[in-house]
Amino acid sequence: MKILVLVKNVPEVAEAELEIEQGALDLEDLEMVVNEWDNYAVEEAVRLTEAAGGDVHLMTLGGEDDEDVLRRGLAMGAHSATHLCDEAFEGSDPTTLARVFAAAVKDGGYDLILTGVQSADLGQASTGVLLAQELGLPHATMAIALEPGAGEVTVTRELENNTSEKVALPLPAVVTVQSGINQPRYVSIMGIRKVRKMTIEMLEAGDLGLESQALGREASSVAGQSLALPPVGEGAQMLTGSLDSVCGQAAAILREKGGLA
Amino acid sequence: MSGVLVIAEHRQGALREATLECLGAALSLAPSLGGQVTAALLADDPQSLAGELQGRAHGLKLYAHPELAAYNPELYLPVLADIIAASQPSLILMPHSSQGMDLAPALAGRLGLPLVTDCAGLSWSDGALSVQRNVYGGKAVLDLALKPAATVVATLQAGAFQAPPAGAAPTASDRTALTELAPRHARRFLEYLAGVVEDVDIAEADILVSVGRGIGGPDNVPQAQALAEALGATLSCSRPVADAGWLPKSRQVGTSGKTVRPKIYLALGISGAFQHQAGMNNSGTIIAVNSDPRAPIFQVAHYGIVADMFEVLPKLTELFKG
Amino acid sequence: MNPLRMPFWGVDAAWLFYLLAALAMACLGLGLWEKISLWRQGRRAAPAPSSKQALGPALADVLLGRRIWRGGRIAGLMHLMLLWGFLGLFLGTCAVAVDHYLISFLHGRVYLWFSAGLEACGLLLVLGLMLALARRWLLPVARLERRPDDTLLPLWLLAVACGGFMVEAARLAATAPPWGAWSFVGYGLAGLFPGPEAARELFPWLWWSHALVSLGFIAWLPWSKLAHAIAAPASLYLQGQPLAVLAVAAEEGDLAALGLRHLLHLDACTRCGRCVEACPSARAGEPFSPRDVLHRARRQARLKYSPLYRLPWLRGRRQALLERDRAAGWEDAWYCTTCRACLEVCPVQAAPIEMVRKLRAGLVEQGSAVPPPLMDTLEKLHRYGNPWVAKKGAKAAWAAGRDIPDLSRSGQEADWLYFVGCTTSIDTRAQGIARALSDVFTHCGVSFGTLGKKEPCCGDIARRLGEQGLMEEQIEATRDLLNGRGLTRLVCTSPHCFDTIKKVHPLFLEEGLPLRVLHYSQMLHRLWRQGRLTFDHPMPLKVTFHDPCFLARHNRIVDEPRGLLGAIPGLELVEMAEHGLNALCCGGGGGRMWHEIPGQANLAVRRLEQAAATGAELVVTACPLCLIMLEDARKTGGFEDKFGIIDLSELVARALRLTAAMDEEAV
Ligand SMILES: Cc1cc2nc3c(=O)[nH]c(=O)nc-3n(C[C@H](O)[C@H](O)[C@H](O)COP(=O)(O)OP(=O)(O)OC[C@H]3O[C@@H](n4cnc5c(N)ncnc54)[C@H](O)[C@@H]3O)c2cc1C
Ligand code: SF4
Ligand code: SF4
Repeated sequence: MKILVLVKNVPEVAEAELEIEQGALDLEDLEMVVNEWDNYAVEEAVRLTEAAGGDVHLMTLGGEDDEDVLRRGLAMGAHSATHLCDEAFEGSDPTTLARVFAAAVKDGGYDLILTGVQSADLGQASTGVLLAQELGLPHATMAIALEPGAGEVTVTRELENNTSEKVALPLPAVVTVQSGINQPRYVSIMGIRKVRKMTIEMLEAGDLGLESQALGREASSVAGQSLALPPVGEGAQMLTGSLDSVCGQAAAILREKGGLA
Repeated sequence: MSGVLVIAEHRQGALREATLECLGAALSLAPSLGGQVTAALLADDPQSLAGELQGRAHGLKLYAHPELAAYNPELYLPVLADIIAASQPSLILMPHSSQGMDLAPALAGRLGLPLVTDCAGLSWSDGALSVQRNVYGGKAVLDLALKPAATVVATLQAGAFQAPPAGAAPTASDRTALTELAPRHARRFLEYLAGVVEDVDIAEADILVSVGRGIGGPDNVPQAQALAEALGATLSCSRPVADAGWLPKSRQVGTSGKTVRPKIYLALGISGAFQHQAGMNNSGTIIAVNSDPRAPIFQVAHYGIVADMFEVLPKLTELFKG
Repeated sequence: MNPLRMPFWGVDAAWLFYLLAALAMACLGLGLWEKISLWRQGRRAAPAPSSKQALGPALADVLLGRRIWRGGRIAGLMHLMLLWGFLGLFLGTCAVAVDHYLISFLHGRVYLWFSAGLEACGLLLVLGLMLALARRWLLPVARLERRPDDTLLPLWLLAVACGGFMVEAARLAATAPPWGAWSFVGYGLAGLFPGPEAARELFPWLWWSHALVSLGFIAWLPWSKLAHAIAAPASLYLQGQPLAVLAVAAEEGDLAALGLRHLLHLDACTRCGRCVEACPSARAGEPFSPRDVLHRARRQARLKYSPLYRLPWLRGRRQALLERDRAAGWEDAWYCTTCRACLEVCPVQAAPIEMVRKLRAGLVEQGSAVPPPLMDTLEKLHRYGNPWVAKKGAKAAWAAGRDIPDLSRSGQEADWLYFVGCTTSIDTRAQGIARALSDVFTHCGVSFGTLGKKEPCCGDIARRLGEQGLMEEQIEATRDLLNGRGLTRLVCTSPHCFDTIKKVHPLFLEEGLPLRVLHYSQMLHRLWRQGRLTFDHPMPLKVTFHDPCFLARHNRIVDEPRGLLGAIPGLELVEMAEHGLNALCCGGGGGRMWHEIPGQANLAVRRLEQAAATGAELVVTACPLCLIMLEDARKTGGFEDKFGIIDLSELVARALRLTAAMDEEAV
């Protein structure tokens, strides 16, 4: 089976204090890490090929520094990688990005294309499905299990309220992978060193036959955007007064912040 | 080119609540963008599901076909394409759910429409949509102003909008029995699986009532449980409580337990050791109750109460029970 | 008549004996060759100790069995009897061979004394063997196993020795030479035969059975645990070599990651079980045994690298055994706290700390069997240079409000670099150490600075968890920072940083500046000796000291902290049952601080039980990890109203009545 996995670097923000610089996130003090969902997707692809043979190809779209997300995936057991890197891609909306990926993917002959359900940065959860539409392939999102069969794959999709559904997709197909589908392996520094010499295919917009006016901000559906931080308080505000009053205040806070009736 | 189309969502014979939230958003937006709110419901037996939609949209389009019992984008897309071509809505809304995430990008992609997902706020001005989205794991807010477009597809964050009261709009409904569905691909729905009933995942909870060693012993846990129930919250704990077996290990917050980010974290009798803090200090609002005014938990809490938790517990429970 | 030896007396078919002997020797040779060819694949990078220095202690350990005595008198006695009995008989046999084939010298008085000497050796051996069997079957020595060959081997040897005596007795009974009494055991046994005729009749039977049993033993020797007779002395000879071995490039073979010394360990181990008895993990009932780790490593090394297992008809068995090990999993690799207690008691200096490291390195490189909490820790270490928080620049927060030069910036100078360490700078409890220590340094007029936000991780955690590549990266980053700023004098809070910077960093420092590293307890002790640190206020307190493993066992620093405690007027030090080099580990080392392992026990609670027995009001330690573990155990183990836990630095600051330390008192 020939599998393509789209991967992406995102800033790790869980424990960081974010700062905004000129309407965008200040990346200075943030570490770029593989998008959690993509990591599950790579692991799943590697496991599928380990079990049944085949190749895993990785693709990312990003700046020059984002090559490490590919190296990491190669160290996990992927076989080859493509880096789409061009200033013209900057500011593209998901629809445009899907078009770029489609141009890079269309002749690849992949049986299965995996992406993460969403990315941890903007969380739009749309690239995989948009790509499927661009390529004219069937898709399924939120996969928590994949079972390849003859000419098709059975996908277990996570739904709400602790239920899930099984759907069958004819191959080739696009599947977006939900976290928890597997336990991704640890990638050691030694492992990354071992793949240091593997060549990574670099492609620009021109290589894909894409015009720059069909890309970037110009082609985006977004006219303008701004990023802001929710206000934060410093230290605990101590609630004082009688027990009744304190509990009343606490209840009010619980109602307000917890959306409780 | 006017009005809002809401794609209703249902599963296993029940309409999904989130659909009503979309109708609420649609109704409050409709005056500014002009036109009416229409809900489209595709199902095997749409009438039986339409009850809650009555009075919450101006128009209700029911499409019936036995194969529409369960969601399948391949069956939905051609039907929706026809509706959209016919009614030309300015905005198409659906929940940012497992179905919305599967359907909205497919619809936008297939019809070549602009897409915005997981919106927590919507506004319309000068013929264009502006949305607010929570990004970076909810740590920042992104405001997006879209370019004017004939039709935009948007999905809405769960809980961000209120369902309208029934009777908010007089509803005219019509029903179409579909004879033929025209899937492009052979995606097939196979079956629903009920999830394994594991112990709750505290990382998923919106409100956590978390107890530390201050709880004293297993006999007092029901008191905390009572408050949690009154609040619709989940019970979690610090490590010593889990170590002692007063609550299962899966409820432990901290470096060797789970990292949680609920909207509200109510810490009762927890000192706030570093290993504990590391698991919860990103919670939306932290309220700490501790008898020791110097407990480090007060350094990360937003609100602090210096008191005996056993006095606070019953009072709070009462306030929410009543 | 001149007394002399009578070779092959009364035995026909000597050729058959020679044939069998050749076979036995071939077996022996094959076994030795297998071992040597395995050992040769090990890495010899570590400099061999100069022979003179190493030989003395090694000989004392081998010939006197010093390390065995230390662990028990009966064991020491037993081993001495076996060793000397066996050695005597071995040398005697060599002498016989020389006498027979080269120059004949065994006649007259020499022969008589020789006979008597051999009798004595044989007797020693027999008594030693009986003692060995008794220890396993009659005396309850819990650490000893009862596997079939643990019994078979001494019984076999007993058969060899007794058979020898019986052959001799028969010969004496048949020939009754006038000097017979010199062979006093055989002489005594000769009376068992009804008469010379019977003895003569029985003699060939006895002789042949003795010969077969003995040759069989020779053939078995290298395959049995008696192989330690060769490997153990070699291991003891190399005991001076540093255990830490550099990481190896991935291309190099697997075994190359281990030194010759570690490979010798595999065969030196006699399964005596002392390590199991000393290991904090095994003692606490966790599913872990250092001995078993070593033996699985031995099996793995043989299966993978022994020339024998390359033979076609062993391939199937090899696959089966490898598969069995793989299926059993390697989870036990994570229990070891790297406390070194096992090595301390191991008679042959073979215990498996480095083997555990190697096992972990394999798991980390393969990736799928790394437990998620450790993955998280390693990823934080890699991205943020600390195992605790996914946030950059967290390392300077403790110093807020203190004016400490940041030596990572040019223009800032100081005599000493205070290397704070990840846990001390980030964990809120351990931060107290950094604050106390910096106040004490300031009080004593020490010129010091830190690396502020830029302080890298020293690589210790990566090293202990088997993340070789990360360890190298961190060490190199540290080296570059130190070299770039010309910093060579370091004082560390954590014995873990201290150990790694002292022992492993120099291996990466070829072109770098030589480092001088102290643990803060050494530094304070020195300041006190120099009179720069004096304690004027009495502190009437009863304290006990918990020795951090990386201070005491790994670096033999036990007197300095005690010296400081003794210098504080009014302070009374009471020792725990196990202290100093024998201290029981708190369980925080080896990466276990960041881990939850199935079946794990709270090791620190066990330590505090010992502390409680002293009646001390305060447990003092000198390591951030110990501090956190013990503090935690004090709460969970119900010791809160018994005593407090404090770091030595905090105690010193308190004794000096430094203000900051008074604040900390609430802790
Ligand atoms: C390696 C390691 C990993 C760890 N991982 C975790 C982890 O993942 N999660 C975790 O939680 N801990 C963890 N710990 C333990 C951590 O260090 C603390 O020991 C623990 O969090 C303390 O739990 P606590 O706050 O419940 O108890 P305590 O520290 O004993 O605090 C009890 C608090 O309750 C207050 N109190 C008592 N009675 C009352 C009352 N009637 N009313 C109000 N307040 C009262 C007291 O004032 C006190 O502040 C870890 C420790 C180590 C060493
Ligand atoms: S490693 Fe040492 S202490 Fe442990 S069983 Fe072997 S010889 Fe004995
Ligand atoms: S180093 Fe300590 S924990 Fe590890 S095996 Fe040896 S005794 Fe056990």
